[in-house]
This record gives sequence, C-alpha cells and structure tokens, in this order.
Amino acid sequence: MVWDTNGKMSNKKLLLKTTNSFLIYAVVILLIAAPVFYYICQWLYIYETDEVLLFHKGAFEQESHSNYKVSDIAAWNKYNHNVTIVPDMGVSKDSIVGEMIFEAIANEKEPFRILYAPVEINGKKYTYIEKRNLVEMEGMVISVAFMFLFIIIILLTGIFWISRKSAAQIWKPFYNTLRQIEEFEIDKNSTPEFTATDIDEFDRLNKSLERLIEKNTVIYKSQREFVENAAHELQTPLALFQTKIDTLQQLELTREQSELVGSLNRDVSRLNRLNKNLLLLSKIDNETYLEKETIVLNESIHKHLDFFIEQAQARNIKINTHFNTVMKTKGNTALTEVLLNNLFLNAIRHNIKNGVIDVIIENNSLKFVNTGQETPLGAQSIFNRFSKVNPTSQGNGLGLAIIKKICEINHWAIRYSFTDNLHIFEVIF
Amino acid sequence: MKILIIEDEREIAQSIKDYFKTNGIQCETAENYDLALTKIESYDYDCILLDLMLPDGDGFDILKELKAKNKTEGVIIISAKENLETRLEGFNLGADDYLTKPFHLAELLVRMQALIRRKNFKGSNTVIFNEIVVEVFSKTVLVNDIKLDLTKKELDLLLFLIGNENKVLSKSAIAEHLSGDMADMLDNHDFIYAHIKNLKKKLTQAGSGDYIKTVYGLGYKWENEQ
Repeated sequence: MVWDTNGKMSNKKLLLKTTNSFLIYAVVILLIAAPVFYYICQWLYIYETDEVLLFHKGAFEQESHSNYKVSDIAAWNKYNHNVTIVPDMGVSKDSIVGEMIFEAIANEKEPFRILYAPVEINGKKYTYIEKRNLVEMEGMVISVAFMFLFIIIILLTGIFWISRKSAAQIWKPFYNTLRQIEEFEIDKNSTPEFTATDIDEFDRLNKSLERLIEKNTVIYKSQREFVENAAHELQTPLALFQTKIDTLQQLELTREQSELVGSLNRDVSRLNRLNKNLLLLSKIDNETYLEKETIVLNESIHKHLDFFIEQAQARNIKINTHFNTVMKTKGNTALTEVLLNNLFLNAIRHNIKNGVIDVIIENNSLKFVNTGQETPLGAQSIFNRFSKVNPTSQGNGLGLAIIKKICEINHWAIRYSFTDNLHIFEVIF
Repeated sequence: MKILIIEDEREIAQSIKDYFKTNGIQCETAENYDLALTKIESYDYDCILLDLMLPDGDGFDILKELKAKNKTEGVIIISAKENLETRLEGFNLGADDYLTKPFHLAELLVRMQALIRRKNFKGSNTVIFNEIVVEVFSKTVLVNDIKLDLTKKELDLLLFLIGNENKVLSKSAIAEHLSGDMADMLDNHDFIYAHIKNLKKKLTQAGSGDYIKTVYGLGYKWENEQ
C-alpha cells in the first residue's frame, strides 16, 4: 500500500526513516564482514596447509629412519613432484614460506606454501622441501565468501522486508488518522471518523484529536451563527431607526436640524450596508450558495454596467470595457454578481476625480484597472475583513473580503497588483 | 383607503401609521397572529402589510389563510429575513411584494400605492397630479395633454415624488428607490441630483408647476404650489 503524505520532498517518510537505519547497519556490517571473513578463511586455510606440511614431514622422518638409503633419495626426488630432498641448505629448523612459483601446467605463476625442514637420513643431513599449491584455496575461499555473502544478504533483506511490513502494519492506524486530518476542513460538514485501533498510543491520539475537532467545530459553528444572528437581530432596531428618521424628517425642522437628520440618514444607510455585507459573508460561510451554473461573464457585467457608469459619472469617473473574448465560466450566479458589483464599487470608491476604470476580459482573466491613490495597497492585508486603506472612506472594509471569499468558493484566484500608478484587481478563472 | 399592518414591533407599526395618515390612508394594526386572523376575517382591506416573524405564528400561515378564504387583499411582506427562498415562498403563497427591513417609509408607501392601483384599476393604471398625468403601464407622461419625454429613471422618480406628496424624501430614500436591486451597493447618493435637475427642467419646460422643492441638507419634497 502506498501512503501519500503530501509532504515536502526534503521530508522523509517515517517508515523509510526506520528502515533506513536498518539498511545502513546492514551495509556497514556487510562491508566490514566480507573482507574480514575472506582473510579469516585464507588464514585458516594457510594454517591448515602448514599443519599438513608439517605432518607430511613428520611421517617422512619416521619412515626415513628405518629403511631409507642414500640411493633412494634420487628415486624419491624423481617420483615426488611436491617433495624434494636436497643436500643440507643450512636450514636449522622448520620454516614455512609463501611464494609465487611458475606452474608449467597452468602456464602461470601460482601461490604456494613451501616447507623447508632439516632431516637426517642415515646420519647425513638433508633439507626436506615440500610445496603445496594454494590455487584451490583461493577458489574455495572466494566461493565460501560468496556463499556467506549470499546468506547474509538473504537474511538482511528478509529482516528488512519483514520489519518494513510489520512497521507498515503497526503504523497503519497512524497513517489513517493522518490522512483524515489532512482532508479535514473545519468549515465543511464532514468530521473525520478514525478507525479503532488496539495500539494504546494511537487510540489516545485519535481520541484527543476527536475531542479537539469536536470542540473547535462547536466553537466555529457558534461563532458563525453568532455573526448571522447578530446581523439578523440588528435588522429590527435598524428598521426602527430608519422609520423614525423618516418620521422625524417630516417635522418642521430648522436648517441645522435638517442637516443633522440628513447625516443621520447617511449613517443609517451605511450601517445597513455593513449589516447586509456581514449577513452575506455569513451566508457564504454557511454555503447557502452552492449551485453552480455556466456564466457568461460579459453578460453579467453588462447587466449592471449602466448603474455603475451612472455612479461613476457622479464622480466624473469614466468606465471603459475591453472585452477581447466571450468568457464563460462555472460559478454561482448570485455570488458572481456580488463579486462584479464589489469590484466595480471598489474601483469607483477608491478612485480619484476624473479617474478611469478599465474593465478587461482576456485569456481566462477579468481585470479591473483603475486610477487611485499613488501608492500601492498592502497586498497582504487588503483582503482581510475590516482592513481599510482609507479610514475616512465610506466603505466598510468588507468589500474585498467578500470578493476573496467568493473567489475561494468558486475556486478562482484573485490578485492585486500596482503598475504605472494603476491599481489592478485580477480574477483568474 | 384602509390597510392592515401585521407587525409585532409596535413602534414600526406606529411609524407606518403616522406616515400614511397624512396621505389619507387609514391603518389598522395587529401585533400578533391571532389578532391578525380575527381582523382579516371581520374586515376587508385594500392592502395588508405582513411581517413574517410573529410571536405566536408564522406570517406564511396568514397568507395561506387568506388564500383559503378567497380574500383578494394585496399583501406586501415586510421582513427582516432576506433570502431567495423566503421571498419565493412568499410570492408562491400569494404575496404581491416583498420589502426587507430596514426600509424607507416612502418606499413602502409607493409600493403600496402601486399595488392598490394594480388591484383596483384593471387595465388603466393612471396617476394624476394637477396637470400631470402618468400612464404607468404605457410609461407615458402628459403635461397639459402634451406628451413629455422622460427617461425610465425620471419616470420612476416622478412617481416616487408624486406618491410621497408633501413628504420630505431623503436623498438615500430616493437613491435606493431608483437603484432597485442595486440599492445595497450604493455608498454615494449624489447621482440623484442630476436626475432631479433634469426632471425639474423637463416639467417646467412643458409648462407644469415647479413642485419639486429642495430641503436643505436632507433631500427633496413634492409640494403643491400654494
């Protein structure tokens, strides 16, 4: 089974990490053990060979005491390929040396062990020379070493594989939990269901995660509901406020009083707008707008274009549209309308007198390019709720937050940039 | 003209009542479901203003009741609930209009007038003010029998002003009325100045009286010349 953790490339997987140390240990052992084993085998063989040489010499001495004559030595030398008796070479005690000697049969030099030992035949001193070819040993040592290696490799891969298998089995509940947590989103309505496990630690992990999720979901929900309820509850006092102002302004008022009531009117409509935007945001959060349809963006823009052109004209701002393609996209119609309205409103509100707004549709993107203040907006914070660039503006700081939220819901990207003293908001579909 | 206001918020009901009184509209109020049902059964109204959330019942049930009793009163829902589903359900159950709280009393008044006009004068839907005659269906305006060429917004504005005769209309009330669905988007009400100016010019050029008065700092007022 392949577990995908979506981790970064530099992050190692847990199972890999545990087996890795295993693997390193095995390789180190193999690297050290192979030559050590080879040399031990070689040494043992040489030791055995030397023993055999000395044994042969011992046997020769015993036999030579009884019945060897000097004339027999020539015959001995003639028929023995490996043992030669030569007149005393001045060897006083047994000595064994390793030498490379040319071997006519193999037509190359081969390793030999040679014993030089002093012997006495019929009271006369001789030197006993016996050589043993070590070629067989080399082959044998190598094949034994290979067999040994083979067994070790089988053993290690076995251990490696089994440990990996069992680790995967042991860690399975952990990966299961991990996957569920990764898929979990607090604003979606699915809570993870962890599979039961008989491992105490994982069971504890699952239980505490469950508690954590449950608690946070409740908090999240109540917070979301709070915004919605608060906005709803505010509507009645707002209505009272509005109707009373409407009644108040019918009275005979002085100029001063009229001005006050007029400004109250503006305040209440601002309050009303803020409240409606809060309601809208919480509705989007609650996913009231799930249905998606095919939207022709050009048409959606045209729908309220006149309204915004009129609004812009009141501030001497010109709106130009550049529709290079007919753009179709999938999204929620009501929300898309809100998105476009907010983009328009934003471009009008933060514009300058005699300013320009260019609405551009091209290559899968919709751009609102507008004149405005001569410094870029803080790209990080502008999409946050209640982040206001200009504290005196009539905006409530929710417009861009709504724009961002709607883009998120429809899986579109929103970007802000500032070039050539122009503010650009771009939605990429 | 007699209407019934079904609204548990007494002060809102009272404000509506006061505002409408001067326009010759007699208002009765019912602040709960039971009282509303009793009044509906006993009297006939020209129009019913209905709040959906009542302490002892659901406004939708009143709509069902009206339907069951074959009552033909026009109903305008005034509700704090603002979503498509409630709106659609309201219309399905026979409501004629839907106004979300908070609203301007001026808006409520013209909506009610329009509803009553639609109900009472089938086919011809005319608003007359002195020398000005507005055919609402055909969207024509006559001043002393001469046709006046108005834009859609100017016509809307004219009807709104005449409907709220002698009432001071705030700029925001006018702006929101003219913007329709887009009213929530408004953060600047200055654009109405151009419409007022144009309408005023067209009316006086056609020989009509100068009925549009500016109320300093507040807005405008349609007033019959003394």
